[in-house]
Amino acid sequence: MKILESQNGLLSNYEVYQHIVETQKRNKSYKRRVPGNLATLMTEVLTYLREKPGPLEKQEETGAYSPAAISNLLENIQQESFQSELAKGEFLSILNLRPDSTAILSVIVEDMEERFTEDEQNRLVQIIGDTLGRNEPSADAGTDQKTIQSVENGI
Amino acid sequence: MFILTKIADLVQIAPEDFGKQSHVAIEDNLNAKYANKVVQKIGLFVCLWDILWTSEGLIGQGDGFANVNVECRMVVFRPFKGEVVVARIASQTREGISLATDFFHDIFVPWSELPEGSEFETREGLWVWREDDQEMFYDNNEMVRFQVLSEEWHDQAPSGPLDLADQPASELLPPYKITGSMKAPGLGCAIWWEE
Repeated sequence: MKILESQNGLLSNYEVYQHIVETQKRNKSYKRRVPGNLATLMTEVLTYLREKPGPLEKQEETGAYSPAAISNLLENIQQESFQSELAKGEFLSILNLRPDSTAILSVIVEDMEERFTEDEQNRLVQIIGDTLGRNEPSADAGTDQKTIQSVENGI
Repeated sequence: MFILTKIADLVQIAPEDFGKQSHVAIEDNLNAKYANKVVQKIGLFVCLWDILWTSEGLIGQGDGFANVNVECRMVVFRPFKGEVVVARIASQTREGISLATDFFHDIFVPWSELPEGSEFETREGLWVWREDDQEMFYDNNEMVRFQVLSEEWHDQAPSGPLDLADQPASELLPPYKITGSMKAPGLGCAIWWEE
């Protein structure tokens, strides 16, 4: 084996998800058996991508992620003309994690406090929720509410 | 988290696979060889993405294998430095917390990378984060977010019989290990940060 290009491109979790789902569907329709190691890994990766709090958990039902939704997100963010632009890696992480609070956004976006005003941060979270959908809160989330507040203020 | 890696390889198609269509035979061959394997300094190979180019199949002397040169792209698990990734708590010790995803198990968060106020609860065998009179446990099997700090590679090429005697098989280091951090706000158990 020869490595021609160690990094030819970055893939979002959604693209990998889509690729695996389609490969499995195709194999099923041709009644094809794939090598055992591949079958195991494909199942494991799919399970992982469908796990909470991953945004693809209910992709099958909601179809929240699509090529159109992703370009929409990019357009909507550009239209806001924030004072700073998101880097490629940051945008990719937003797609993969779908942050629903500024606390989570702050670990993805480097130096967020300096690059974006508070209004812009909230607007960004809102745009992400509007275009990619939101997580449904789990039943026992309420008890931790106070801690989140106190930690957020202390950033 | 995932990248595309372009590789060139010689694929040998066995005569019993001649019944398959060429591209199917090549795909199976590449997947059987690389899926779920770590390649040093590249990452964990997941599956074939697309085939870019193939040569004619040539049959050499001595066996009936069709030899095809292939250029293709593979999906590889290789989170970049600073990326935030979701994983599950696998086990905990005084040294830190071991994390795993369903398909990758060698992720470690040392104690120094846990938020201030974290302590190891010996009785429970769990880490706990104390903040403003609140106790929050890192429960096993809980989903957490962590940030990739660094990676380690250990080539597992077999060593000679003399070297092997010094190092028992059980102490083999993982081929690809990720060290992470859960210090910053927003990291740690996912349910702590739900709005």
